[in-house]
Amino acid sequence: MELSVVQWVVVLFVFTFVIGILAPIGGVGGGVLFVPLAAAFFPFSIDFVRGAGLIMALTSSLSSTPYLIRKGLSNLKIMIPAVVVSNITAIIGSIAGLWVTNTFPTGESYIIIALGGILLVIFVFMLASRQIEFPQIKKIDTLSQRLKLDGRWYEPSSKEIYEYATTNLPLGLLMFSLVGFVAGMFGLGAGWASVPVLNLVMGAPIKVAVATSMAIITVNTSSASWVYLAKGAILPLICIPSIMGMSIGARVGAKLAAAAKPLIIKYLVMFIMLLAAVLDIVKGIHGLHVL
Amino acid sequence: MKHEEPVDSMGVTFSKVTRICTLVGLLIMILFGLLYLFGLNPYMDINSVAKHWGKPAYKFWYDIKGNDVNNYSWFLSHLSKMDSLSMIGIFFLSLTPLVSVLFIIPHAKKIYKILLLILAFELIFSIIKPIIL
Repeated sequence: MELSVVQWVVVLFVFTFVIGILAPIGGVGGGVLFVPLAAAFFPFSIDFVRGAGLIMALTSSLSSTPYLIRKGLSNLKIMIPAVVVSNITAIIGSIAGLWVTNTFPTGESYIIIALGGILLVIFVFMLASRQIEFPQIKKIDTLSQRLKLDGRWYEPSSKEIYEYATTNLPLGLLMFSLVGFVAGMFGLGAGWASVPVLNLVMGAPIKVAVATSMAIITVNTSSASWVYLAKGAILPLICIPSIMGMSIGARVGAKLAAAAKPLIIKYLVMFIMLLAAVLDIVKGIHGLHVL
Repeated sequence: MKHEEPVDSMGVTFSKVTRICTLVGLLIMILFGLLYLFGLNPYMDINSVAKHWGKPAYKFWYDIKGNDVNNYSWFLSHLSKMDSLSMIGIFFLSLTPLVSVLFIIPHAKKIYKILLLILAFELIFSIIKPIIL
């Protein structure tokens, strides 16, 4: 059945609205569901899907970061060294991603297969990852000491002020360089990768890790988005309904989160991600004409 | 009583600038984007876009406008068109982190001033790279 343009726009809006509801309850960013599912089910080129994914990640992180900074949760002292490194690799990733689709006749299929692979990695991350509310830090490395990567915030649930410090900055920076590349190449915010780096490697409390990851996403997606803007890979016809659907859905999702059973939604999101990964890999292989 | 830990001047400035720029960018993007979706004065005809949106970006532009796109002139040169104006909103949103970084440099301590200058240079490079290379 052929859909008209208006019907596609409505379907895209409803699709992103549902993602917007599920993502915050499931504990993932919207882009990580939007990019692989849109690549599998919508008729858009992967270039435009990644472009829309980046702008969605950019707008949602820009909207939440100011609030998180004012609450003392998003730490600019941790964000700045991380983005100095990941910003460069995000630009390289975005150039590489568009180069592959524009240079090789079957480049789009390679990207879709790689996207499916990344999604399988995220699935394993979600299955195996543990989050530590307050990691214990035994020793702070020299670089973290010099940069004074510490902070404090008031936690209303316990009515206490929590102080923290972070460590392992050199290893963290190395990992952020990989995170930046993946974010730029696939049009993802990549909070699923930066939160564990901040929490498990650098020892930031989980709330600080999630909030600081949002600030990191603003810079990484911004620098990657220029490459997509200059290549004409961002189309208002795809971006506008997607961003509106996601934003409205996220507001509904945030309200439902209090009443919903997060574990069931998390498993549902994980199942959707696994399904999208398999569909992307099958679609990519099909595009290579090897099946 | 509502208790909040005081945030340093770097955080306050970053937060304020980001909030204002994001609001302006979102308003421009959504307002003109909606007018475009309703078919008002488009640069790219909606049906034509839908006919070619399955092609990689470079092929898409060859097919709908007859040339490849390698910089920002495809929307900056058509500012009377609703889709181009909506792209200005996206342009503004992408510019927001750089503007915020530039605003906090005077509030940062020495080592962070250096890191922020490097970051600002990287962000400026990512913007001008399509024009100069």
